[in-house]
Parts: sequence; structure tokens; C-alpha cells
Amino acid sequence: MMATKRKVAKKVPTRKKASTRKQTAVAPAPVHVAKDTDDVQRQLKALCDTGKPIEVRMAALQSLGAAAFSVPNFESVNADYIAALREVSTDSHEQLRRRALGILTRNKDGFAQKKLLAGLKDPTKALLPPEKALQLLGNDVHADAYAVARAIVKKPPNESAKREALRLLAADTKSAPLFEKVLGDKKEMRENRQLAASALNSLNPEKLQLQARKILKDKSDYADIKATSLTALEQFGDDAALGEDKALMQGVTRFGSSKTTAKYKQTARRFLSKYDQ
Amino acid sequence: MAFAGNATRAVSEDEFAGLVDLLAADPAGSAQLTDLLYEEHPVYDGRGTATVIRMRGWVLLALARSVLSDQALIFVLEELDTGIDAYLVAAAARALRSYPQPNETFAPFVGHALNQIRHHDEPLSFESYGEYATSSTGTTAVSELLATLAWLGPNARAILPQLEHWRAEHGLSRKLRLDLDRALQVIRGPTDGAPSCCDGLPDGRNIPIRTSMAPFESRSIGSIVMQDQDGKRLKFAEFFSGCPSIVVFFYTRCDNPMKCSLSVAKLARVQALLDAQGLAGRIRTAAITYDPEFDRAERLRVYGKDRAIRMDENHRMLRAVEGNDALRAYFELGVNFNGSLVNRHRIELYILDAAGRIAVSFERLHWDEDKIVSCAIETLKEKGCGSSIQA
Repeated sequence: MMATKRKVAKKVPTRKKASTRKQTAVAPAPVHVAKDTDDVQRQLKALCDTGKPIEVRMAALQSLGAAAFSVPNFESVNADYIAALREVSTDSHEQLRRRALGILTRNKDGFAQKKLLAGLKDPTKALLPPEKALQLLGNDVHADAYAVARAIVKKPPNESAKREALRLLAADTKSAPLFEKVLGDKKEMRENRQLAASALNSLNPEKLQLQARKILKDKSDYADIKATSLTALEQFGDDAALGEDKALMQGVTRFGSSKTTAKYKQTARRFLSKYDQ
Repeated sequence: MAFAGNATRAVSEDEFAGLVDLLAADPAGSAQLTDLLYEEHPVYDGRGTATVIRMRGWVLLALARSVLSDQALIFVLEELDTGIDAYLVAAAARALRSYPQPNETFAPFVGHALNQIRHHDEPLSFESYGEYATSSTGTTAVSELLATLAWLGPNARAILPQLEHWRAEHGLSRKLRLDLDRALQVIRGPTDGAPSCCDGLPDGRNIPIRTSMAPFESRSIGSIVMQDQDGKRLKFAEFFSGCPSIVVFFYTRCDNPMKCSLSVAKLARVQALLDAQGLAGRIRTAAITYDPEFDRAERLRVYGKDRAIRMDENHRMLRAVEGNDALRAYFELGVNFNGSLVNRHRIELYILDAAGRIAVSFERLHWDEDKIVSCAIETLKEKGCGSSIQA
């Protein structure tokens, strides 16, 4: 009993210490606004200094982001800025890695793209979770990420990664058949199907029109997918051809009179009124 | 030849780098290295843009290790004229310094590149293939360009005002001030007595023009089906015969503002010049996309409209809906793809005669709108020569 008490007694101050550290960690360090390129150099040094607390380094990164806009002739230290970002993009602190890689990929940085692609191909090399890596690679249509994104859609490590892979592939014309499949698959996550509809409208609008008609004629498909399909037909469809499709009109009438939300009913009414239904 | 045939597509990046090094070490390898700078080379087929940058950069650096030939010079100047990637621009700047003699006509190219790249300079490493610098102790694109200006010395006097203006700007970093001062000192220095070799660019490189006739049977191109910005379908022969045409190639997803966007905007200016001379109905214009699957009619229309392109029956934005490969072969387009997406392309403008055959082409370097109109008028005067394309 005594031993236990002593243990507890010992633990208390330790917890307090940890708690103090935690408080320090969450309190953001004041952001110093760089005035000139010499100031920027000091911030770059702080950013790369692994001996400094992470809050200080994060504050330096924030300050540098502002300096990129505000400091006259920041571009004369841009190479140093990129070098520092590349250096900290492999830092042990994930949030710092994420922020640095975010800035680099928005600038279509080849180093960051290579690292992220390597991580997607081999998870032991991953600097970020796959869904984040895919999102960042999506900043550049030329990033050569389509093959790896297709592989992730086929065998996703998690649902978020699959969604981000689909989002990335939405600019890949070769992926139109994949989006047709996803949109038509009732077992697929509805968010992914919505995404597929949007991608197909961009890549192959004729195929979306065909799929949308099919979905509206299907009694068992979901209301939100039907509403998306209806919008696609209403906004981008061939009015003359749609007006002659009696099965479609029946499908939309059925959808409008089903137990669905008022918003969806209104969409169906608006569509039918175009064809005097 | 180390790089030939379809096998090149399977070459790994490391193997490519090794083969480039072998060619660089071979006194007779320069021509083969230059061949690797053609965008359509099969070695670039199916590669991502970043990979193509690494590969082309390595070729330029290999050229920089020997004497830069006249044949390779145009590729180096092209990179300085239109490049936006720091690695490639820096490699081109380094390669230019291996040209046998400094030439004052190079200075505007270097000055232009400096203006472009200074806003997104990067740390660079040329030590080994594919290496990215993670420290700022090495070189950068701006450092390489300034070193090239120092190599040009007094030959770069034409861009002294640009450099002096830059030097006077507030807030330049100390390192850049030092590099700039060093370059300025050499440029302002005395000439060594040897005059610059030419008034224009070295022999054969003064204008990026080739005059040629279409090397292919016109029948193969005539039946290509195209679609315009309004969705109207027409055969190649329907539009490109009867009067001369000016054709530029582009794609809407090009992220180099010095290439597609600028080419299409300049085509709008060409259209205005034709209109001012009452020739808008006698000389046609077209902007054809490299990326016909993605650049659907609506995208073409919006892209053209945003760049003030005149669009009517004689002036169209086009995509090939059938026969894109034949189109690519007919024009010998300087482009390559990763899947359906362009991974690299050159600037290219063609003037076709009234029979739809290539009369003149402007490639790689920025073209002058007035010159294009003059060339098109010359072609118009020659109207009637040759047989027409058959649909």
C-alpha cells in the first residue's frame, strides 16, 4: 500500500511537468514579421534548427510565408527558402513536414513530388499519409501520379486515400472508364460516386449523360445520386433527346413523388416542367 | 546507336544517365546527344514531366562538358527563351558557356532567362543524375545565368541597363549583390580586341525557320477529322485548302506561360494584323491542340476567347477527333506524351500554302507577329503552286 502511494506521489510531479510542457507546446510562438532579406535568412536558420522548439520553427515557417509576399526582393533568397523547405520536409515532426511539402508542391517542386511518389510506392518511405500525399500531388497535373493513383484505387490502404486518388484522376482522360464504373456501382461510397459524376462530366460528358439516364430509370438507386444525375441532365443534356425518353420521364416522376427531400422533389418538378410533364 | 527504337522506352533513368555519360565521353557523341533534345524522341515517351526535365537537363550538362555545336545551340537558346524550370535553364546557361566563342546575340536570351527565373530560383545540384539540392551552398539558376553573362563579358553590354536597374533595387540579398557586381564588372570591362563573331546568330541559327514541303502523302492528312470550338466537324482538307493558313499548336493545360498561352495570344495579334490589311478572309488561322481528348470544343472556345482569338469560319480553334497520330506525323510535331498528357513540347508555328502543305515553320524560339504576317503574305502570292490535299 505504501509502495503504491509512493509511486503515485512520484508520478504527480512528473505529470505536472508533462502538463507544463504540453501547455508550452500548444501556445503558439509569436510570429516575427521579417522586414528584409537579412531577416529572412535568420528565419530560415530558425526553421532548420532542430535544436529549437517546434513552435519556434513553425512560427518561423509562418513568418517566411508572409515574407514571401511582403519582403521586397524576396526572390533573391528564394533558392535558400526552397533549400530550407526541402530540408525540413523530411523532419521528424509531421506537421512541419506537411506544411513544408504543401508549400513545395504548390510550387510544383520536383524534389517534393519525387519524395511523395516514392512514399506512395513504398509506404516505408512515406513522409505523409497516402491521402495527404495524393492531395498534394494533385497540385500539379504533370506530376506523374496517375499510375500510382490508379493502383491505390484498385487496392486502397483506406477510404480517404481512395477518394483522394479518384480526385486526382479526375483530370486524367484515360480514367474516364474508371469513373463510369464507379458512378454505376451502387456498392461504391456515395461520395466517390458524386466525385465520379463530376469527373466524368469533365472528361467525357456524353458518357455521364448516358449513366445519368440509367441511374434515374433505376428504382433502387440512392436519392442523392439521382439528384446529381438529374442536375447533369438538366444543365448539360440535349433537351430534344431527353424529351423523347419516356422511361426517363417516368423515372423522374417516380423520383419526384418518392419519399425524398423537398429540395430533390423541387429539382424533379423543375426538370419535368421543361418537358411539359 | 545507344538510343534507338522502341527499346528506349524501357530504359531506366539510371541507364539513361549512364548512356548520356558515355556519349559525353565520346568525341563523336555530340550529335547523338543533340538528337536526345528532340521532344519527340521515343526515350521520353510515357515519362512524367519531372522525369523529362531530369533527363533533358542531364543531356544539356553533358553538352556543357565539351564544345557546344551549332546544331545543339538552338536547343540551348530555346531553353533560355521559353524555359521556366530552374534546373533546365541553369543547365542551358552552363551549356552556352561551352560554345566556342561568346557572341553578343546571346545576351538578350540570357537577360530574358534572368528576368523569368529570378522570381522562382532554386538550389541546384549537378553532381549526379536526378539529384535535388537540399542546401543553398551549391549553385542556382540565377548564379549560372550570371556566370554566363560574365563569360559573355563586354558582349553582354546590350543588357547592362537591365542589370543596373536590377542592382539598384532595394532589398537584394548580399550574395546576389556580390554575384551581380562581379558580372557587371566583367561586362563593363575593356573588350579584348576580338570582335564578336557575327551580327546575327551563328551560321544557320539566325532564324528558327525551316522551309519544307510536307514529306508525307497529302492523302493521309486530308481525311483527318477535326472539330472546332463550336463543335462543328470538318476534314483537314476542307479548312486547310483554298488559301494559305497560319497554324499554331498548343494545349490548354500547358503550365508554361511562355509557350501555349503566349502563342495563342500572339496568334490573336496576328489575326488583328491580317484584319488591318484586309487579309482576314484570304489567310486563315488555326490553333490546334496537342491534347484533343481533354481539350473538347467548349474548352477550346473559352481558351481562345480568353486570349482574344477571333473565331469564325476562317479562324478556328481545332482538335483532331480522328487521326491525331497522322496529324502529329504530318507536322513532325515537337511533342511527347505521358499517357494522354503532354510531358514536353516546343513552340511551333506553321504557314501552310493554299494546298495545305507546310511552306514555312517557326520552331522553338519566340516568333515575331509582323514577320509571320509577311511570310503568310509571301505564301499568298505564291498561291496556286502544287497539288491540293485530297480528302
